[in-house]
Amino acid sequence: MPEPTVERELTVIEAVREALGDEMARDERVIVLGEDVGKLGGVFRATEGLYDRFGPKRVIDMPMAETVIAGVTVGLAMRGLRPVAEIQFADFIHAAMDHLVGEAAKVRWRTGGDWSCPMVLRTAYGGGFRGGPYHSQSVEAFYAHAPGLKVVAPSTPADAKGLLIAAIRDPDPVLVLEHKRTYRAIRDHVPKGDYVVPIGRAAVAREGRDATVLAYGMMLHESLAAAETLAADGIDVEVIDLRTLAPLDREMILTSLAKTRRLCVVHEDTITMGLGAELCALAAEAGVLDVPPVRVAMPDIPGIPVDDVLEDAVLPNRATIRDALVRLVEHERSRSLNGSQSHGMVHGQAYDAAIPQASSIVEVALPEEHTRVAVDALVHAARAFPRCNATFAWTGIVEHDDVVVDLDLGPAAPSRGLGTITLVDYGPGGSDLAIPFVRPGQTAAVRIGAVRHDRAYVACAVDHRAVDGADVGRFLAAFKSAVEGVHAG
Amino acid sequence: MTAAERERAYRALSLARALDDRMWRLARAGRAHFAVPCSGHEAIGVGYALAMRPGVDWLAPHYRDLAALLVLGMSPRDVMLCFFSRPSDPNAHGRQPYAHFGSRALHVLSQQGPQPNHCSHGVGCAWGSQLLDDGSVTVIAFGDGGAQKGEVHESMNVAAIHRLPCVFVVHRNGWTQSVKREDQYATQTLVARAAGYGMPGIAVDGMDVEAMHTAASEAIERARAGGGPTLIDAACVRFMPNTSNDDDSRYRDRTEVDALRADGDPLLRARALVEPEFATAVDAENAALADDAAAWAEAQPLGDPATVADHAYA
Repeated sequence: MPEPTVERELTVIEAVREALGDEMARDERVIVLGEDVGKLGGVFRATEGLYDRFGPKRVIDMPMAETVIAGVTVGLAMRGLRPVAEIQFADFIHAAMDHLVGEAAKVRWRTGGDWSCPMVLRTAYGGGFRGGPYHSQSVEAFYAHAPGLKVVAPSTPADAKGLLIAAIRDPDPVLVLEHKRTYRAIRDHVPKGDYVVPIGRAAVAREGRDATVLAYGMMLHESLAAAETLAADGIDVEVIDLRTLAPLDREMILTSLAKTRRLCVVHEDTITMGLGAELCALAAEAGVLDVPPVRVAMPDIPGIPVDDVLEDAVLPNRATIRDALVRLVEHERSRSLNGSQSHGMVHGQAYDAAIPQASSIVEVALPEEHTRVAVDALVHAARAFPRCNATFAWTGIVEHDDVVVDLDLGPAAPSRGLGTITLVDYGPGGSDLAIPFVRPGQTAAVRIGAVRHDRAYVACAVDHRAVDGADVGRFLAAFKSAVEGVHAG
Repeated sequence: MTAAERERAYRALSLARALDDRMWRLARAGRAHFAVPCSGHEAIGVGYALAMRPGVDWLAPHYRDLAALLVLGMSPRDVMLCFFSRPSDPNAHGRQPYAHFGSRALHVLSQQGPQPNHCSHGVGCAWGSQLLDDGSVTVIAFGDGGAQKGEVHESMNVAAIHRLPCVFVVHRNGWTQSVKREDQYATQTLVARAAGYGMPGIAVDGMDVEAMHTAASEAIERARAGGGPTLIDAACVRFMPNTSNDDDSRYRDRTEVDALRADGDPLLRARALVEPEFATAVDAENAALADDAAAWAEAQPLGDPATVADHAYA
């Protein structure tokens, strides 16, 4: 019988186990050590079967002492072995931090390359299974901050295998963060045999045009689920699986952001000084965002509570990610007061970024003396279309209750820019037709040209970030009918 | 010790003292950043370094292990490159201050700042010897201040469980910078701890190079034969302040130190082991070596900023 050509499906934990077994078989220098990794096969069973297969000399049960687990791992690596240590829960890793950040990360640098520390430290992180504050934490920000250390966080079974193999073969220390909820919840194709996923490369998990989500671990899967529900609403989200958290794949991240111009970072780690802060800074410095980025993360509380309702309330999930993405995309979309009539707009950054102003022109019947009439008509039109009497801000568009029209009646009485709408009126001495500019902080500028035979061209410009192009026309039509109605009366 | 070993021991003790004196004066004169004196500790390191197999056994050194490094083959010029923090320093390449020793060629594990994190590195190194079955032994040296850290407990425990081929040597000078022994541990010595881990303990006069050599030889050969680790409690006196940044007049009486020094200086005691003419000649030779090394190393170039990020990763 030939080998079945269909690729197997494995869970993440099975993929981790396969990578460890394959590498131990391939290279005698590879040894595994940690708490309960021997006969028990690890509390998550990542090392199941290895003790029987490779014996107690290469699969070593360590005392419950994280400092020395990390410390001897450093020493073994400096001697040229390829130790793979397991810290049972990421919550316990801080006792090992001195050896990871103070030693492993610095050995090569501090010795001018004479020594190296090719070690791997695997640990299970992440919440969502009622583990409470000491079995649920995400610790990536502490370690991704340490130059000299590499940090990977696979989300899929194939990456769990390929990144672990890459980590074991890497000449530098690598921290492998395995999200414990993915261990059994995520099952997918895993290539057989020698399979290496290069460290430092992200992957496009889902292609899209409207926004980029950067995520990893279980949050990748939640983000993908959120993206699927948004697709039904016509919002097309790109999801990048970071896979390696240090060093970041800046090229892939910026390539995606240059396309979508919108960024949403999702992580279970707490928000302040989390990985999202670095990713937002990366995007900001590169100048690739059209709107402010969004972070979906744990609030800044000391731990993840065990209570079902409370844990669910603090961890990001597909619903909170979806909400954030809607805000992010709506922020940028030109919105009409009647959303159903927004078809025909060009949707996307090219339209928005190219011309911040939208303008329209209409011919109106009105007398030489018309300032009062025009102001009244503007108030009428603004009330009919409140979005034209609004202030754009990155945090959202603020619609005003009062209509404040600032008059710019020429050089003698220039506008002070205090209203939401400026009426620019050059009267008989002015030109027939010109497009006014919207002042910063205002939404619309309406210019009445020279009156010829009781008729004038009226041009309206709006801040297009707040006002749909189609609404300019509607606003001006309301203005025209109001002016002409009064005049006729 | 054979007559030849005694002469080697004296040569190393004398050279360590000569370099120590030069470094102290140069640091005080502002010519270098940092000196870490080893005077009073020299016989401990000379004792175990002479008992080690060169190029086979490994040392996870104490930061006062200059004398041991000289026995293992580090040159005075390399010591001074380290002292002047030059990029050509084979220990730390201008990236760590003096006394952060390390040499792959000499089997000296690169040493770090936080004490004594190298204990577990040494245990890992010894574990490597066991796994590779290469017959090598690792000597792990640290101070009695460092010995109060959980790192040492965890390391000794693991070494004992797996009968790893290593020897723990505590340079017990009774001070942790400014804090005296009574405020660091409640016992007079640390040797009783060995029994708590199920390993032999040896208490030795660490200022007697012969006694130290005997103790180290016994422990190293036991480790090599598969008998597991030993704890050696080596008593000594720190003759100088903790480092060139320390002012020990604030916490201890210099006259007491001077009395202990007059009484027990390991260099003076080792003079009795060799011919007086030999000692005098070696002292003069070493003074010249130290002067040459200091002048030569100080003249070596400082680092190139373009290389500062080199070796962050492979």
